[in-house]
Amino acid sequence: MLIPHPLLGLRDAQEFTYLGDARLIDRPDGMAEGAEAAFAEYVYLRDNPAGVHRELWFHEQGDRSWLIVTRDTVTHEILGAELARNVALAANGGEA
Amino acid sequence: MTDLTPITALGASAPADQHFGPLRISENADMALASLALRRTADMPAPMGLELPAPGKWSQGQGVAAFWTGPDQWMIEAETRAAEDFAAELASHAPGCSITEQTDAWTVFEIASDRGDAPIRALMEKLVNIDTGSFGPGSATRTGLHHLSVFLVRRAEDRLAVMTMRSMARDLWHVLQETARRLKGEPA
Repeated sequence: MLIPHPLLGLRDAQEFTYLGDARLIDRPDGMAEGAEAAFAEYVYLRDNPAGVHRELWFHEQGDRSWLIVTRDTVTHEILGAELARNVALAANGGEA
Repeated sequence: MTDLTPITALGASAPADQHFGPLRISENADMALASLALRRTADMPAPMGLELPAPGKWSQGQGVAAFWTGPDQWMIEAETRAAEDFAAELASHAPGCSITEQTDAWTVFEIASDRGDAPIRALMEKLVNIDTGSFGPGSATRTGLHHLSVFLVRRAEDRLAVMTMRSMARDLWHVLQETARRLKGEPA
């Protein structure tokens, strides 16, 4: 399986380690109202789609960047990859 | 004061150097290394007149060279300066950047071919899952090699540097030695 790294091009999936659902980036605010319930959901509940899934991959034997890879869990087809850093920055309006 | 005798990463008193048919593999014990990382919103520096390379690339300046190791991160190499405090000098040329001394953390093996690029490519094809066709001179990357994490730098058509953590020097030397030995009989 080859992963299209946004900076380095096609790289062998063996160089990566897999973390899971890309929604792990959206960590709830621990100080907000209802944080306990939000964290219970964040830690334990995952969708398990048969189809297109956005997931976190770490380029461990490479440039050590986190990627968000869009993959079809039925066919294992990789539909795209982007730097998780850019996705997180865009979601926060440019603030790290 | 105690009289200490320096040894190389392979435990010898002199750097290893061996020929395998068209290939020569030698330990580069004299190269100083330092990593350079940009801080957020920092401008791109040009330490010692060096143009820091794009992702996956290696570039050479006057006595120093650099390769890309990650977003906003590079490794700077200085030939023959392992015994100096190279990181301190680099820091004075790159104000505002994060510099870390790396010389003693790595062991560098230089592979040279006297029959052009074919023996280098044959060796890479045996060892790493990298597209050798697109890994031409000026390319550099980190990848896995026999479960070791290594940096590869293609210095020229007929030259390749492989570096790994110093504590794994013997393992990398063993792998390179075995592979080069097995390739010797194959047409280059």
